[in-house]
Amino acid sequence: MWNFFPRDFVCIYREMFKRKRECKKLKGMLSPYIDEQLSPSEVKRVERHIEECAVCRRELESLRAVVSLLHRVPMVALPRSFTIAARAPRRRPVALGALRVATAVAVLLLAFVFTSDALHLFEAGRVEDRSTLQGYTATSTPAGGETFEAPDASDVQPETIDASESTWPVRSVELALIGVVVVLGGTTVILWQKRRRGEGLKRP
Amino acid sequence: MSDRICKMEENKLIERSKQGDLDCFNQLVEMYQRQVYNLCLRMLGNTHDAEDVTQGAFISAYKGIGRFKEGNFRAWLFRIAANACRDQLRLLRRRPASSLDALPLDLELEDRRAPSPEEYAINQELGEHIRHALAGLPADQRMAVILRDIMELDYEEIAQATASSIGTVKSRISRGRARLRAHLKQYVELFP
Ligand SMILES: [Zn+2]
Repeated sequence: MWNFFPRDFVCIYREMFKRKRECKKLKGMLSPYIDEQLSPSEVKRVERHIEECAVCRRELESLRAVVSLLHRVPMVALPRSFTIAARAPRRRPVALGALRVATAVAVLLLAFVFTSDALHLFEAGRVEDRSTLQGYTATSTPAGGETFEAPDASDVQPETIDASESTWPVRSVELALIGVVVVLGGTTVILWQKRRRGEGLKRP
Repeated sequence: MSDRICKMEENKLIERSKQGDLDCFNQLVEMYQRQVYNLCLRMLGNTHDAEDVTQGAFISAYKGIGRFKEGNFRAWLFRIAANACRDQLRLLRRRPASSLDALPLDLELEDRRAPSPEEYAINQELGEHIRHALAGLPADQRMAVILRDIMELDYEEIAQATASSIGTVKSRISRGRARLRAHLKQYVELFP
């Protein structure tokens, strides 16, 4: 009842099925076989299979042809030398560091003035605030923001200062500080980006 | 023998480069620049990007040479170049590719005699097809195939250069070659 198919036919069918499965398994082994990257037992397995399987044999041959084509891709001559030129004396990073510190100081100062203003501290302790403020602006100016402070201050002074508020111009100090922060920060960012680009493209 | 002397020489150059000796590093550049440039060229497909990436790779190598421990210097260098190529490819994907400065790929002839006009034409056409077929591979397969079949590195060195296992290298090369075969089918039959 179960032997409906003739015995030989079942055998052949089973063999075919087995070989198909072996083909699938060997697919990934043909390339390492060409490069002699298989273990001796794997080599034997591949060789036994390609002896009886024409499909895999052809596949191996065409892979070999691809490899030999790629071997014929030439090494081209250099368009130029890639040796690295000696660095110019590094001045920019130092300037960059100073600029960063100056920006940070200016930002802190601005925050301080804003909070002081918001809490109306200037009316109470005007004298001390002024002395510290002047000390800070003096240290931050040499880094390059000095030219922007004066015009800003004089521009805004007339209309924004409330005569009743304070005898020294808090608003214009704030505006001037914003100007300093923008200029210092902008310069720092520009220098930093220039340097990054410069490093990428450095040529002999 | 001469190979060993070369290795000793190379180690000395590496040591002195680590101490900041640019002339010594430049000697290493001269030893490997042709290979690094060719790797980048085959990986990226055009001379302009290949030049930029090669130069960038050598600058990174100089900056990072302190991190190179004993081992295969060429593989270490190739790894830097491979990473640089990968970054560049990522960038290229964002901007439209230009093939204007693509270098035609002229295959070497198997024998040294002058080719007939037909042979020359077939050769050129075939070179173009190889270039296209390579460009069609996923980047990691392309890198593995280039390192193996064009640069002729062994599997161990490829594994080091691509920071992957031998098993991964094996399967990338295998899949890469199979894809190339599909692309180059007509020519593979022409050149048994
Ligand atoms: Zn088979």
